Amino acid sequence: MTTSRRAPASPAGPAAAVTEPQVVVCAGGGGVGKTTTAAALGLALARSGRRALVVTMDPARRLAGALGVPVADAPTPVALPDAGTRLWALMPDPRRSLRTFVAQLFADEPAAETRVLANGVYRGLADAAAGVHELVTMNLVARVAAGDTFDVVVIDTAPSRHALDALDYPRRLAALLGGRPVAWLAALAPRGTAADAPPRAPAGRLLAWGAGRVERLVGRVTGPGLARDTAALFSDLALVRERFVALAHRASELLLGERAGYLLVAGPTAAARDDAVFLAARLGKQGRTPRALLLNRADVHVPLHDRVLRGLPDPPPALLAALDALEQERTARTAAADLQARELEKRLSDVPLVRLPYLEATTPDAVVVALAADLQPHLRTLVPLDT
Amino acid sequence: MIAPAPDPPSPAALAPVVLVVGKGGVGRTTVAAGLAANAAETQGRAAYVEFGDGAAGRRALAGAPRGIDHLVIRSADALQRAAASLFGSSLLARLVLGNFAMRPLVRVAPAVREIAVLEAVRQVAAERPGVRVVVDMPATGHSVAWLRLPRQGLEVLGPGPVREFCARLARELLAPARSSIVVVTLPERLVLEETRELCASIAQEAGLAVDRVAVNRLPAGFPPAALQAARALAGRPGVVGAAAAALAGVLEGREAAVAEAQAALTVIGQRAVWRLPEAPHDPSAREVAAWLRTEGAA
Repeated sequence: MTTSRRAPASPAGPAAAVTEPQVVVCAGGGGVGKTTTAAALGLALARSGRRALVVTMDPARRLAGALGVPVADAPTPVALPDAGTRLWALMPDPRRSLRTFVAQLFADEPAAETRVLANGVYRGLADAAAGVHELVTMNLVARVAAGDTFDVVVIDTAPSRHALDALDYPRRLAALLGGRPVAWLAALAPRGTAADAPPRAPAGRLLAWGAGRVERLVGRVTGPGLARDTAALFSDLALVRERFVALAHRASELLLGERAGYLLVAGPTAAARDDAVFLAARLGKQGRTPRALLLNRADVHVPLHDRVLRGLPDPPPALLAALDALEQERTARTAAADLQARELEKRLSDVPLVRLPYLEATTPDAVVVALAADLQPHLRTLVPLDT
Repeated sequence: MIAPAPDPPSPAALAPVVLVVGKGGVGRTTVAAGLAANAAETQGRAAYVEFGDGAAGRRALAGAPRGIDHLVIRSADALQRAAASLFGSSLLARLVLGNFAMRPLVRVAPAVREIAVLEAVRQVAAERPGVRVVVDMPATGHSVAWLRLPRQGLEVLGPGPVREFCARLARELLAPARSSIVVVTLPERLVLEETRELCASIAQEAGLAVDRVAVNRLPAGFPPAALQAARALAGRPGVVGAAAAALAGVLEGREAAVAEAQAALTVIGQRAVWRLPEAPHDPSAREVAAWLRTEGAA
């Protein structure tokens, strides 16, 4: 096994103009096979000659293990049949994101970084800060994408209805950090906490009255410590506003830019259907339409062996019983899939629906390989390919 | 080496509030609705609490027995109410929450909303003594973050009303006598290993015990005679042999999945487990309630 391999170099050489990769954001509820589908799409792209990077926000360790990809901050080649050297995966560890983020933000402010790491409010945030993992991951992707290393980046979002909030979360955080609220909160910090005094809020008299009032109220209910720690934290964050805005901007560019497209992934359950409809509406609020909806485990075929074995002159009863049980299962699966497909076509009538097969239980990498073959004919529906 | 102790005898009954946790897609809502349906069938009344838009509960409780209060807690309302009780006035609460600096801060600070939502759950239970309250916790890998909040608040906060607030939550909601924790998971080795880690961190960081692990979607096996018959025929030449080999492959795959699931179950060791079967369709709350009863859920 090769332990380290360099990312494929640009065939045109360093002088060529850098083409930004296409970005495909996959979203869907939990348990619909989103990570597997993203990996399969990456494999299908690699097989069609594209250099593909699959980025997983919420690494399913089962898949990571099956693909031989470590949870790490650097892209790793994935060895799957016919992928050549074109399929790569990036699975950063969500538990380290906040720490990485702080290190990125305060690269030029070591004293402030030390203060932040010791701040009670920061320590309380721990891994719970929503959006930070996405922000950190997208900056890792931006760094890789800048090198003209990949044609397509497939992003597997966290399995949640809030996954798409991450699309504009960086922008919202930047607005917060760059705006008056933070300047105001920072101004509450006792002098001497931050290295430099943050800019005072451009406060009118009414605002100043409101500020004093709110400050006293908040201090009264939370006790003095929390208010002081919060203010100190924001005071330090105000120091690195510009860098924060730049980081957030890069992440937003990739997720919301011209070359970003969105795929919804669902399974044949009512919960998955409702999640897909919700996420489509969420995209609609951003003025986006999903390119397609992939319905997993929805195409149930009668296997060839069924007819052959039933046609035997003297089929063993145990065999017939097994065939009957499997047929009943297929009937139930087909009914469930048809029901959800009908509902989805009704509710998301402008989104092309791609039904993917139900695959018999097998190893995760075998599922990825099988699914990639089924995605191949739909590649142009799913990804806007230049050539 | 000492053999592992057998599963403890049927564990004590669940506390009045049941917090159902687990990551997205494992069937958390299905299990929560099944627990509520079971309580309604056996005790006449139950409450099902969710934090979404109400769609999950409507879907999962369709056709469920009468007597289930379906309660939807919205974080904005919960926040407003919690702030009103803190500040002693809803007007002051609006002033603080509407403040230009507080508004975005509250939006990005996760703990504030979550504490308010937990407080709303506490109230739901306090208003319904003797009624089983089943809470469909948010779809998150970080259930621990929720459960440890009151404790964390006690560590971080100085004396004041918010600290009192956290103390009351720890005393009246997140205490073993008040609520039981049910973790929903799937019968796959790595998923179960994550579940075991989750149980450990719930104990360490939140100081709470997981009372039951519901292992969902256990694959069903086939009688061994079917596989034997398929293998016997697979020796024949031509189409029949190939067909029988294909069927044998499917049945072997199922057998392997059952074996893997059984082996995986040993990962969670001596915990009290509810085993729920895999269904090719969405199971109804009544079906799940029946499964839970055969597994000894009270």
